[in-house]
Amino acid sequence: MDQQITQPIICSNCENPISAGIKFCSSCGQAQNEEELKTYNGKWPNLKQIALFFSIQLLLCVSPSFFESTTITSSLFFDIISAVAAISFFGYSWQENKHLLKWPNFSLKKLLLLIGLAIGSSLLINFLVGYINQTLFKADFSYYGPFMFHEYGSYLMILSIAIFPALFEELACRGYLLQKLLKIVDKREAIYITSILFFLMHFSLISFFWMIPFAMVMAYVRIKENTLWYGIAMHFFFNLTVCLIDILNPNNFF
Amino acid sequence: METPNNLCTCCYRTYSPNDVFCNGCGFPLQGTEQEQAFYQSERTAKEIDLGELTGKVESARKSLYWIAVLIGVSTFITYFGIEDEQEKMAQAVIAVIIICAFSGLAIWGKRKPTTAMISGLSLYLILIILSAIVDPLSILSGIIIKVIIIGYLIKGIKAVVEADKLKKELNID
Repeated sequence: MDQQITQPIICSNCENPISAGIKFCSSCGQAQNEEELKTYNGKWPNLKQIALFFSIQLLLCVSPSFFESTTITSSLFFDIISAVAAISFFGYSWQENKHLLKWPNFSLKKLLLLIGLAIGSSLLINFLVGYINQTLFKADFSYYGPFMFHEYGSYLMILSIAIFPALFEELACRGYLLQKLLKIVDKREAIYITSILFFLMHFSLISFFWMIPFAMVMAYVRIKENTLWYGIAMHFFFNLTVCLIDILNPNNFF
Repeated sequence: METPNNLCTCCYRTYSPNDVFCNGCGFPLQGTEQEQAFYQSERTAKEIDLGELTGKVESARKSLYWIAVLIGVSTFITYFGIEDEQEKMAQAVIAVIIICAFSGLAIWGKRKPTTAMISGLSLYLILIILSAIVDPLSILSGIIIKVIIIGYLIKGIKAVVEADKLKKELNID
């Protein structure tokens, strides 16, 4: 469409000049949407790649449950495998993904606003989830358990729960997955699908009411700002808040 | 074959006398009768394919309803076997949420078939995996139905993509 203003269009087959907005060349009958068709041919292979990505993520999420209990070693082990998986998928489509690592139009105000939003919603959600867990399932849940008795437990926990997921889930979901989906569906559908898959990958079906909206905000910011870093910052501070609540109040969950 | 007002016989757009092909649909205006017949048959074949694909998408969308129904029935059966009141309550709440999710996806699938079907398939797989973690044998219960539903959904997703591509090839809409 942009071409039409700057230069006269010619048929992609016989190079006859044609008028704007027509669908077939009037002298050779060539359909004028070859470029578009090429992207359509790539859609099914791209979807299969996404299916592979999703299956690997599922496998990674399921395998910890085969172990008797979570220990520091096992959780760090799975963190590292997930990181490797995220990096390999991101790197596999490096050409189309690399621009996401840049940070154009850096705005401190926007960053602080989004971080504030993440911390605020994290506090609110922590309170709500604690309440739901107690009333519906009569159980308390803590991420801190496995880390509690280690000398550097709290640091390791922050590493395993705040830093690793923030970096590599963003790289995998808002980086690789969203970029691939944008080649298959429009922006809005890509936001919906990544958010739903992101939620499902966490294997915590009860948290749909906050995880999907939160993921949608991050996907929206990522598409609008064309960078992963806002999402990484939001994700990091969101998870960090959860960690700090756990560390500071090991016996008192609101 | 020429129509009085210079209207294309295929898509009824006006064309100018020196056009060899129609601008709107690629119909060979000055071609031989054989060429024109060939064009028509190619086009009709693609339109029939498109109709078939739309049917596949529709049955995949309906299988989302079937998942909701199946989950409802199986929860209803196990519900009375549970003795603990708390457990009963939790099971019922979870089942209602899941049924709402699948029915919602099925309705949403009318407008956004790709999203609804990818989400529905992933959610269904996760549910199967989650129940397999609790009880590995649960994967075998109703395995034929599970495979059929998953097959329908995968075919549906493929059909959406192919239907979009075919529409582009026809270059109409």
